[in-house]
Amino acid sequence: MSTVLDIRSSAARRSTGLWLLPAISVAIGAGVLIFIRFANLDSIEARALAPDAIIAATAQHVNLVVVSTIATILIGVPLGVLLTRRGARLIGGPVLALASGGQAIPSIGVLVLLAILFSTGFWMAVAALVLYALLPVLRNTMVGIQQVDRTLIDAGRGMGMTRGMVLRSIELPLAVPLILAGIRVALILNVGVATLATFTNAGGLGSIITTGIVLNRFPVLVIGSLLTIALALLVDWLAGIGERYLRPKGL
Amino acid sequence: MRKSLIFAGLAVSVLALSGCALGSTDSPEPTAGTATSGELAGANVTVGSKEFTEQLILCEITAQRLEAQGATVKRICGMTGSATVRDAEVSGDIDTYWEYTGTGWISYLKHTEPIQNEEEQYTTVRDEDLAQNQIAWLPPAEANNTYAVAVKTETAKELGVTTLSEYAELSQSNPAEATFCGASEFFGRNDGWPGLVEAYGISLPDSGVATLAEGPIYDAVGKGDPCKFGEVFATDGRIAALGLTVLEDDKSFFPYYNLSLTVRQEILDKHPAISETMAPVTELLTTQTLQDLNAQVDVDGKTPVAVASAWLSENNLN
Repeated sequence: MSTVLDIRSSAARRSTGLWLLPAISVAIGAGVLIFIRFANLDSIEARALAPDAIIAATAQHVNLVVVSTIATILIGVPLGVLLTRRGARLIGGPVLALASGGQAIPSIGVLVLLAILFSTGFWMAVAALVLYALLPVLRNTMVGIQQVDRTLIDAGRGMGMTRGMVLRSIELPLAVPLILAGIRVALILNVGVATLATFTNAGGLGSIITTGIVLNRFPVLVIGSLLTIALALLVDWLAGIGERYLRPKGL
Repeated sequence: MRKSLIFAGLAVSVLALSGCALGSTDSPEPTAGTATSGELAGANVTVGSKEFTEQLILCEITAQRLEAQGATVKRICGMTGSATVRDAEVSGDIDTYWEYTGTGWISYLKHTEPIQNEEEQYTTVRDEDLAQNQIAWLPPAEANNTYAVAVKTETAKELGVTTLSEYAELSQSNPAEATFCGASEFFGRNDGWPGLVEAYGISLPDSGVATLAEGPIYDAVGKGDPCKFGEVFATDGRIAALGLTVLEDDKSFFPYYNLSLTVRQEILDKHPAISETMAPVTELLTTQTLQDLNAQVDVDGKTPVAVASAWLSENNLN
């Protein structure tokens, strides 16, 4: 029995929800800037928190997160779809095990290993991040497709659709909400793990955090962490908007 | 259903029992000295250290040596960052750790100019730290674990670079050949990269300077990728092992970093025997000795506990 009042209040709830995350993110960012401007920083802290250092670190971090998430999507979604096809029953298990292992292995170990075996830098960090974030995207794609109601697929086949058409017009659109949820999780994970990229010359907000740790400067450490949190909240908010608008109409 | 329950039960018990197989491989061999007699019987000492190999070895050497004299030792080895360990000592969380005279002078006592005389650097740091912070610096070892810039020996010959001044010239004339790697701490400290750049006039674009964790730097310089030159510690065993050469500090920018055991004065007052107990250890610590010990861990893969134990036994110090 949704009355007008119910609909209006749930709409109001939805719109505060919409603005809360970016509001917190902006508040953190503003707080950090005010602190840096007015606090009494020694030469080491001032060097670590210089505006161009922070901007460069944030830009590198965003770059890492965006590129690695795109790569994860390009690898994870097609792979997930492939693994739900009839012929792929046998390799489904091992591939999922690999993805689970990729998330379980400490990322710093993977990063340094890749640095020694291949090279340091941006693309190795992206490789380590993709390995880490593959599991949510892969598993959500597989589950999303597998949970599609069999009767709908039968109806489609009954209407004369080929398997490919069934995939494109029935299974994938119905799986999109779950796939998007998986991508959202992967994005947040990547923001956190990208802080380790500093150890193999890929920069990012982790360099500010590490400087704070090794030189024992608490303000630097806290600011690096707060900026990472603010970025994670912003990314989560943007992903939520993406989820809302990419969800197929009529679901 | 029953079969999968049985399998699950087996898997969990295998996981739990693996704890038995993974018993501590690190317990030091029983020595004659973990007795209750000895000059330090009844003493409770907490030994700390920084996170790199040399510090871990020294932490174990100190702990085992004190235990051999009857002390009860708590180890907090491997704390991240010099400033963290220093704060722990000043606040009393640890009682003693090995520090470098130059680091004390620049980073903790906040001076900007190093003292160019090894002995004077030590005595000045010792007197000032005792007066200001009640931290005692025991007589230093010969070893000077200075920051240094290393390069592969063949590359050094090719580029004709043997001193830091020549490196600075190279960075101005041919920055692509003068790429540099350092660790976060080196880039942040005043006696590190910022001071070095100013003293020698090094000029590199941002893309020519790479930040790595300390360990991978040696490997990176050995491979020449992503840098030909890198920040190293002079007593590291990997310099020789990877065929690297250290550039000469011709303008004497880097301070002396002699090893000295720092102890909280109140602990030293309670147990003055700590000085005499550790003196024979300090006498044996030359740059060469430390390079050998470090190489045993970094190149041969032994544990700091085993290396410390073997070295003390060889020298009849446990």
